[in-house]
Amino acid sequence: MIEFAISDPSAWMVLSAESIAAVVIVAGLLQIVFYFVLLLYAGAALGTRPPVPRSATLWRRYSEQAPAISVLAPAFNEELTIVESTRSLLALQYPDFEVIVINDGSKDGTLARLIAEFGLEEVDRFVDRSVQHAHIRGFYASPRLPRLLVVDKENGGKADALNAGINCSRTALFCAIDADSILETDALLRVVRPFIDEPDLTIAAGGTIRIANGCKVDSGRITDIKLPRNFLALVQIVEYLRAFLMARVGLGKMQALTVISGAFGLFRRRHVIEVGGYSHGTVGEDMELVLKLHRLMRERKRDYRIEFIAEPVCWTECPDTLSVLGRQRARWQRGALECFVKHRNMLFNPRYGRIGMVGFGHILLVDVLGPLLEVLGYVLVPLLWALGLLALPWLLAFLAVTFMLGVFLSIATLVLEEIQLRRFPKARELAVLAVIAVVENFGYRQLSNLWRLQGWWQFARKQQSWGTMTRKGFSTS
Amino acid sequence: MTTLRALWEVSLALCLLAVLALLVLLVARVLAARFSGRNSAARRRLLPLLLDGDPATLEPLGRAELQVAADLTIELAEMTRGSERDALLARAASLGVVDLLVKRMRSRSPQTRLFAVEALSLFDDAREKVVGALDDRNPDVRLGAALALARYREAPAALTIVNKLNVREEENSLLLVSLMIDLVETNSEAVAGLLFEKDLSNRVKVAAMDALAERGGEYAPLLAYMARDSEGEPDLQPRIYRALGKTGHPIGAEAIFEGLGSASWTVRAAAAEAVGRARLAAAADRLSALLEDPNYWVRYRASEALLRIGPTGIKALREASDSEDPVVRTAAVKMLAEGRAR
Repeated sequence: MIEFAISDPSAWMVLSAESIAAVVIVAGLLQIVFYFVLLLYAGAALGTRPPVPRSATLWRRYSEQAPAISVLAPAFNEELTIVESTRSLLALQYPDFEVIVINDGSKDGTLARLIAEFGLEEVDRFVDRSVQHAHIRGFYASPRLPRLLVVDKENGGKADALNAGINCSRTALFCAIDADSILETDALLRVVRPFIDEPDLTIAAGGTIRIANGCKVDSGRITDIKLPRNFLALVQIVEYLRAFLMARVGLGKMQALTVISGAFGLFRRRHVIEVGGYSHGTVGEDMELVLKLHRLMRERKRDYRIEFIAEPVCWTECPDTLSVLGRQRARWQRGALECFVKHRNMLFNPRYGRIGMVGFGHILLVDVLGPLLEVLGYVLVPLLWALGLLALPWLLAFLAVTFMLGVFLSIATLVLEEIQLRRFPKARELAVLAVIAVVENFGYRQLSNLWRLQGWWQFARKQQSWGTMTRKGFSTS
Repeated sequence: MTTLRALWEVSLALCLLAVLALLVLLVARVLAARFSGRNSAARRRLLPLLLDGDPATLEPLGRAELQVAADLTIELAEMTRGSERDALLARAASLGVVDLLVKRMRSRSPQTRLFAVEALSLFDDAREKVVGALDDRNPDVRLGAALALARYREAPAALTIVNKLNVREEENSLLLVSLMIDLVETNSEAVAGLLFEKDLSNRVKVAAMDALAERGGEYAPLLAYMARDSEGEPDLQPRIYRALGKTGHPIGAEAIFEGLGSASWTVRAAAAEAVGRARLAAAADRLSALLEDPNYWVRYRASEALLRIGPTGIKALREASDSEDPVVRTAAVKMLAEGRAR
């Protein structure tokens, strides 16, 4: 039979077409099954999480034992927002913290504004030299604000600035954030929980990033949660819900988390120094740090935990134009590929336990193969069906894994959000997001995959630039 | 082909199921919004009763209003103290809040049980019911109950509590320190006794030591003994040195000086910190030697301690600031500069 099939050109073409479709469908199905498992784990994690009290109760319970934290806020050319951001950080509700703003060689008046607004003076500071970074030009502080230290350094990028902050910090824990994001006032009290519950095991914990576009901001605080009107921003709200509420909560429950967002993560300083801090020369420095931590602990056969906590929230502004969003997505893709290639020996390596099997399996399936196979499917499956080389069930199966199950996962994430967290104040907002969860599959999803292919191309050409992220600034009430 | 079609059909079914579930939740949200209007009205009515009502004339509330009253009581209790809080709780008890909280302690949700335990512990007459929560199946509820009882000096013996907390899995939370600090207030001997329990983990013992250190020099000899005895345990020993430093008692000096020469940098750094806290001026030379330690934290803690122990330490820092060794010189110069800025 096989000899007959291969000798018959039309049968050979059908067999080839079916093989291509089968690869695309199986890869898509594997992704969906993986996400489905993550959703179940996320549901279990949220359903069994420790009680989540109000801020006042948290303070009463944790304030005596909460370990000191250094909040590291790298800033580059942020003179318009830096004063308000720093004020908002200084107003965080946490018993013992310092804010270290790292001016990463800004070309605008970022440093001058900080000095003028907070009455800072140049001081000296005895700092560590454990991790590498560009030259520090000076330190600025004020006796009136003992919690604030401004570090002025030569430009070296975000990873370099964070390394400088790590060297300057004097606490066991540091929290890496983006200076232009907004931490909720009780975010530190909430994200520190695993470090209090399991102080000997926890080495890192990440919190949720939410999109602030459309929300009202007053004095560096979110005062009114609203949905944006911009379609791209709305789609990203659904994407972030999937990424944080489903993927990261699920992977955290599995103890297979491979990334803690650079916009909000709490780390044990000692372990980060052991892995050499943030890596230079990569655009995925946040992911790489977590992978390096896993590698260190696994190779030294030490027990550890890297957690994801859903309740603490950091608000960030997302891109709302195609060009900026495209650049961001291509950069994220490039970062994931760089990390994957750099640590490829961890893939399916039993030495690295569930990180090698589950964490790296996830990266391979979703970040490495995902965009390639999905775009291949968009081009070939409908074409082969139109040419009569594929029967209708093949096309339906492709549509099932790319569209229908995608819609199912997005809606199921919204259901999980509504049951467990209820962070959208109005029912109407949830309904709007449900519509977006369906609509995004027709057009946006394909475009997103093209951006990721662009990231693949940039990675193949070893392109290193970050691109420009144009921010409009939060709307104020 | 059947499999491919089945995939399509299953995907359609799952989509419909998810949409249906979301619709149900949306309807529930709309209905809940109506109830929240009623709740707001109930809060407005209950607030003056709780703040200013006469307990003798207050009648037990119906179920819906009682839920609101319980939540409101907890919120207000966190904002009030002393006689004001006592009066608030008396009014809440007259309205039937205690009975509702007792019912909530039987809830399936650990969150609800924990809130109930913490709220019940506010009421003097209801604390015996909280004791039962020490056997709860959820470790957070057990710890919450222990903390609440200890805060009001009504906790069982330290060892009994620890054993209850360690049922099923060992309790590792740093909140054990808060618990021990409260337990020390009622029976410090019982907490000190935990240090001699062979079956207890280091985590519990360290929490007990931290709490005992809060009593000042009373337990310093015991901590000094434990510091020496824990040599070779780099995770445990630094905590003991910190506790010893916290006591500020000179009897711990010899043990702390030994720690300055430990092979583990975490122990050296903790011992140097303890020198600064206890202001042991006799350690100035040893601290000066640590300014060339290969680890930053040891150099930092040593230079900081030199600054804290006063004139002898500052003199040592000044001498070190002329050192030919750049590592020693930097540590001394920078710390002197920081000292001037403070």
